Amino acid sequence: MGGRPSHGVLAGYVAGNSWLHRAPLWAKFLGVVAAGAASFVLLDWRVSATALGVVLLAWLSAGLGWRRLAASARLLAPLCLVLGAFQWWQLGPATAARIVLNLALCFVAAGLLTATVPLRTLLDAVARLARPFRRLGANPERFALAIAIMLRSIPVIAGAFDEVGEAARARGLERDVRARTVPVVLSAVAYARRTGEALAARGLGDGDDDHA
Amino acid sequence: MSRIELAGVRVAVPVEDQPERLILDGLSAVLTEQRVAVIGANGSGKSTLLRLLNGLIAPTAGTVTVDGLDTGRDGRAVRQRVGFVFTDPLSQLVMPTGREDVELSLRRRQRNRTERAAAAQAVLDRFALGPLADQSVYDLSGGERQLMALAAVLAVDPDVLVLDEPSTLLDLRNRELLRRSLAGLAQQIVFSTHDLELALDADRTLVVDRGRIAFDGAPADAVTFYRALCSAPSEAA
Repeated sequence: MGGRPSHGVLAGYVAGNSWLHRAPLWAKFLGVVAAGAASFVLLDWRVSATALGVVLLAWLSAGLGWRRLAASARLLAPLCLVLGAFQWWQLGPATAARIVLNLALCFVAAGLLTATVPLRTLLDAVARLARPFRRLGANPERFALAIAIMLRSIPVIAGAFDEVGEAARARGLERDVRARTVPVVLSAVAYARRTGEALAARGLGDGDDDHA
Repeated sequence: MSRIELAGVRVAVPVEDQPERLILDGLSAVLTEQRVAVIGANGSGKSTLLRLLNGLIAPTAGTVTVDGLDTGRDGRAVRQRVGFVFTDPLSQLVMPTGREDVELSLRRRQRNRTERAAAAQAVLDRFALGPLADQSVYDLSGGERQLMALAAVLAVDPDVLVLDEPSTLLDLRNRELLRRSLAGLAQQIVFSTHDLELALDADRTLVVDRGRIAFDGAPADAVTFYRALCSAPSEAA
């Protein structure tokens, strides 16, 4: 998994000075939480579609561009298709549409946060938010590091899907599910091992130190 | 300089339904020189030897100490003293940009965001990486990435720097850039390499062959020994 990571919605920070870039971090956090809550609150697919329209407008007005959206749509499409088909079969088209739209809403809302806040600022914020958990024995810095690694891993693993897909096409195996998935799983495990080793080598996985 | 001591080190890994595989055996050495090179064929045990120095792996038998600190028992203290640079900098740079990665290294030392940013800038300036600091690490050349990884490790000012084949993925220009950067460092450096010119820059060179130190001495003699070793017909042939 040495290739370039995917440029999807969660591909990381996009430098800029838009209203969304300047908006306070707490407001963006609140937006993501609200989008998550929407899955339970919005019960009409038309309302979900409107909410998705609003976050898409926010995305475009922040100058984040269509390319990232398109890359993410390509990645999300198979999941939405399977999920939507299953829900349609089980609960009908209106529920299927609502669930898929709410999923897309969460995804784009999370993308708005990661695209307009530098990762180091997110790290500081997560560490601050996790501070109360220190009383329960949790280390806020580890909390922040875990979130950072997770955010970093999403585009890398998505990039592995692209790479493996290309390799499968080159071998004429584009329809072979095994050829398209097994190498991604192996790459993801290797990536996790390398990242873990790199963190350990830098002492970032060690317990809190004197400065804590 | 620090005193790195390997005493009777053995590293073996279990293999299912087979006898364990021996990676290193009977390794003893005291390293106090500023530049120590480790050369050897692929699979000879170089990387394992280097990983022992930072406590990334523990010996199956024997001890490894850095200034008296046991790499197994005092792992955290050892890692604060010994920085490690991997062959592929992309394995090491865990943040999207170099600046964020250097700041990540500094998080434990500098909790204040402004002070941390200033400290990171100073490290980046030291390696003339300021203009590249906010670019995605994927947009950097191999040499720039390797320097960025080096900067992220040196940000916490380790006493010892361990580099595992740092020039393997670099072209000639970037190799020279890395070589000049390493030459200017005050730290004690232990590195493995297939680049025999780089090995000649060291004060002492170890030749590792099939898990053992086959030669330990002056770099020029070590390179001559290694060339002869590689020219000899292999036992497997």
